[in-house]
Amino acid sequence: MTADGLVAALLADEDGTGWPARVPHRLDAVLAALPRPARAGMRAAVAAVETYALARTGRRLAALRPDEREDVLRSLALRPRLAPLLDLLKVPVLLAAGTERTRVVPPPVPAPADPPLDCTPAGEWPARTTADAVVVGSGAGGAMAARTLARAGLGVVVLEEGGHHPTASFGRRAPLDRFTELYRDGGATVAVGGPPVLLPVGRAVGGTTVVNSGTCYRTPDHVLTRWRSTFGFALAERFGPLLDETERTLRVAPQPLDVLGNNGLLTLTGAERLGWRAAPLRRNAPGCKGSCQCVVGCPTGAKQSVQLSVLPDACAAGARIVTGARVHRILLDHDVPGPPRAAGVRARRPDGGELEILSPLVVVAAGTLQTPPLLRRSGLGGHPRLGRNLSVHPATSVAGRFAEPVTAWRGVLQSVGVEELHADGILVEATASPPGMSSFVLPGLGRELRRELEGSDRLATLGAMIADRPSGRVLGRDRAFVRYDLDPRDGGRLMTAVRAMGRLLFAAGATEVLTGVPGAPRARSLEALDELLAPVGARDLHVSAFHPTGTAAAGGDPQRAPADPEGRLRGVHGVLVADGSVLPGCPEVNPQLSIMAAALAVTDAWLAGAGHGG
Amino acid sequence: MRGTVFTETMLGTVRLDGEPEERRVRLDLRADADRVLLPHRTTPARLTGRVRIAGHADDPRAEGELQVSPIARRRIRYRLAFTADGRRLTLDGWKSVTPRHPLASMTVLPFTVYEGQARVGEGVLRFPLATGLLPFLLGFRFPRREDPARHSAPRWNGAPGRTEVWYTTLTDPASGTGVWLHHELTAPADGSEPFAHGWAAVFPREGEVRHARFGPVPWTRPADGFTAEDVTCSGGRLTGSAGDLRWKLTEQPQGQPLFTFPRWAWRHPVLPAAQMLPSARATYEGEISYGGTTMDLRGAPGASARIYGHGNAHRWAWLHADLGSGDVLEVVAAVSTRPALRRLPPLVFLRLRRNGRTWPRRPERPAIGGPGPGRFRAAIGLPEWTVTGRTALRRIRVEVNQPPERTLTLEYRDPDGSRAVCRNSESADARIVLERWWGHWRPEATWTLDGTAHAETGTR
Repeated sequence: MTADGLVAALLADEDGTGWPARVPHRLDAVLAALPRPARAGMRAAVAAVETYALARTGRRLAALRPDEREDVLRSLALRPRLAPLLDLLKVPVLLAAGTERTRVVPPPVPAPADPPLDCTPAGEWPARTTADAVVVGSGAGGAMAARTLARAGLGVVVLEEGGHHPTASFGRRAPLDRFTELYRDGGATVAVGGPPVLLPVGRAVGGTTVVNSGTCYRTPDHVLTRWRSTFGFALAERFGPLLDETERTLRVAPQPLDVLGNNGLLTLTGAERLGWRAAPLRRNAPGCKGSCQCVVGCPTGAKQSVQLSVLPDACAAGARIVTGARVHRILLDHDVPGPPRAAGVRARRPDGGELEILSPLVVVAAGTLQTPPLLRRSGLGGHPRLGRNLSVHPATSVAGRFAEPVTAWRGVLQSVGVEELHADGILVEATASPPGMSSFVLPGLGRELRRELEGSDRLATLGAMIADRPSGRVLGRDRAFVRYDLDPRDGGRLMTAVRAMGRLLFAAGATEVLTGVPGAPRARSLEALDELLAPVGARDLHVSAFHPTGTAAAGGDPQRAPADPEGRLRGVHGVLVADGSVLPGCPEVNPQLSIMAAALAVTDAWLAGAGHGG
Repeated sequence: MRGTVFTETMLGTVRLDGEPEERRVRLDLRADADRVLLPHRTTPARLTGRVRIAGHADDPRAEGELQVSPIARRRIRYRLAFTADGRRLTLDGWKSVTPRHPLASMTVLPFTVYEGQARVGEGVLRFPLATGLLPFLLGFRFPRREDPARHSAPRWNGAPGRTEVWYTTLTDPASGTGVWLHHELTAPADGSEPFAHGWAAVFPREGEVRHARFGPVPWTRPADGFTAEDVTCSGGRLTGSAGDLRWKLTEQPQGQPLFTFPRWAWRHPVLPAAQMLPSARATYEGEISYGGTTMDLRGAPGASARIYGHGNAHRWAWLHADLGSGDVLEVVAAVSTRPALRRLPPLVFLRLRRNGRTWPRRPERPAIGGPGPGRFRAAIGLPEWTVTGRTALRRIRVEVNQPPERTLTLEYRDPDGSRAVCRNSESADARIVLERWWGHWRPEATWTLDGTAHAETGTR
């Protein structure tokens, strides 16, 4: 599908030359990485717009003159109900346009060599092997579990569905190309519900830590207390020293101001003027060069994703990583006294072949969205709460236009945290986008959108994420189907967050605030913003969500928690849950440290206790 | 309890590390499980067999383990240690059974080859359905698995007129000397007190046969085996003395029980007497001394046997022949003492245990024939006696020679006081010819025992 007519219309391409002419092909590449339903939806939407143009003018968009195309778009924009759909169409077009318009900034220094990993592609791994422990997934939880078990002397094999992407490979490709490769479903994982929520998760050696922003918050004390007392997650008691160890491993430190970038500096200025608590975030990126590409793989190797920090240690202790191996099911021995016992895993290779690894211990760290389907495929989905209790951090962003160029993509991607409203469950973080990959949906269509695009270097963007009530659910066996309905309280929090971010941007000197809401796109003053947002609800926002947790929660109540207080899956021997799904509730902060500490605690408990027998 | 034995052949390829080409592999395996293989259970089995890797390995003594669990665990796992070019390698692989692909998943065996902990190759074996299925299915056997020790407990139930025997015969591999230890319980038919007695005899290759009796002493009703003062035979240990003969031996059973008479005849004493071997063959360690000679036995082959019944036969012949490689032939040919039956020719009970299988399959077959004629025949005499017989596709001829100078003549006394004369040689000669019908009779195996056969004939 080459939607050249639609692209030309949306970007007001008048002469068919220059960078807009390359956008349709780039758009094709983006769409090719999307899952089939998303591709079909896009195709249908493009066809619908083309049909509208045909009905209105008798010609397709590509055959129209620029003014006629503008006329068609203006006519479409007059229908408010179509605005969300047009915004959905705009997102991939803007991504493709941003990439073609912006020259990719090469990394300031050559990428250093990564610490060695013992990676073997699944195609080269024997069909039948054995191990002392198999870890499914190499993300934050899986890596930590693998390292702990390998250091205890066990023969560990880590199975990862994604590929291994060394740091050197990041600098060679455009951010958008890396984005579609490093994320599951090309980054288009969607939670169905009201409103639909984009829920991107990584898929690579290192998991989402390869593509997160590097922000490392310790689990707040009140969260640990709640996990322990309300949910009976006994391991939360041991989190203190484990978080210390995790921070040491990841070399977590406050981000120095020198490479913070204008986006962060403006946020600090705004917060200071308002008297709000704000500071550079603690990050696992010592020596960060401010490439602003964390979310598509740090090209300088500064961000200590687990593939650079934990997995090398695990491999040095003997662990081996199999890449491109999607675990199809956990093998169980049923003819043993008591519950069935884990016997290993069966995984599929990219070529359709299968490999099996026998192991008495299986650590499930496939990610919050993939762990429940895996357990169901394995016949372990019997617990009524498995897949439920899904918590995410619903997030939205607001942009502020400044008189001077901000060039938000030079500096740290997620740089400053504003914790003034954290007690209310709202965490504001100055979050820019990689060069050419703005995630903020600019308002307008045609010439207006083109103007916004041309002036996007003057935009500063803030993101806010809120601590939600667990109101999602992961369904499905072969594919994860995520259902998430925003709780009304959380909708209110999101609107509060939008107002707070607008206030912060105006305080920092923004001349205009872009809300991202199709029907209420921009305000030039705080009062106007309040007035603008008065009729707007959370369902009108572009909501993304991050940090899914809780779908195989550990807890003391066998009726409510699929995993026991030490992270062992109930109803089976020899299966540990060691990813975000084991957390009993929303961690209220970026959860990488919490997940790693939980994985460490779960595997430590297994090694220390009678885990060998069960 | 029954076990399971089957053989399986698989063909395939292996790619060894550092080699550009795949090599052909062939596995000829025999699996031996201690219980009946049930598909819904997990059955462990011992694997023995031959591993051949073209141009690299041909190990006929490969050993390993098999775990058969096609339903419970959906896995049939093979672990096999073998030698290839002087390297000790292990093949580890399993068939993953899935109902979606029952045929492929039950016949394809992906495997990995290890040297120690290091992987050195991988490959795939396949069960050749077209040529292998029928032999595979027909090769299934479910032999009984019994503990030989359970047959050493006394059978006597207190009834008068019974005799019970524990006897052991063996051959010292170093000197060729045969040994006979006979322990007997006699409950006289007149109801008088039972007594224990017996004798020991040695049959040196050179020199004369020596023997000495022990007892009689009152029967002390031991719970297990035989005890008569210092003579004991229980728990795998044989000790005692008789005259200047002394022995102290330990017995190591080497096989499953062998019922020379039908099993039912041993379990329900309806025949005048029945004989069986708790273990078809055994090895013996220890010491036997007589006169000034002391024999230090190391792995001496032999067997212990048991007899229980009313007394000795009218005429009889017995042979125990250790044929090597674990094969054993046991023959009893006897004429009953009952007046009417005394006129019949000898009933022959012949059991040939070869390659773990016993022929004829039913012990009644040699004695009473198939439907109609076909029973085995014995010509009892001295110094030679013979047994011949055939089944549908096999026939056997057993020729036993008991040279007079290596034969001991002893008097037996039945519980009713009647006497019999036994002529026994634990260093007899024997020649056994086994033939198989394949258009014509073709030799299948021939064994010649030169002074290592254990034989006896008895007359009134």
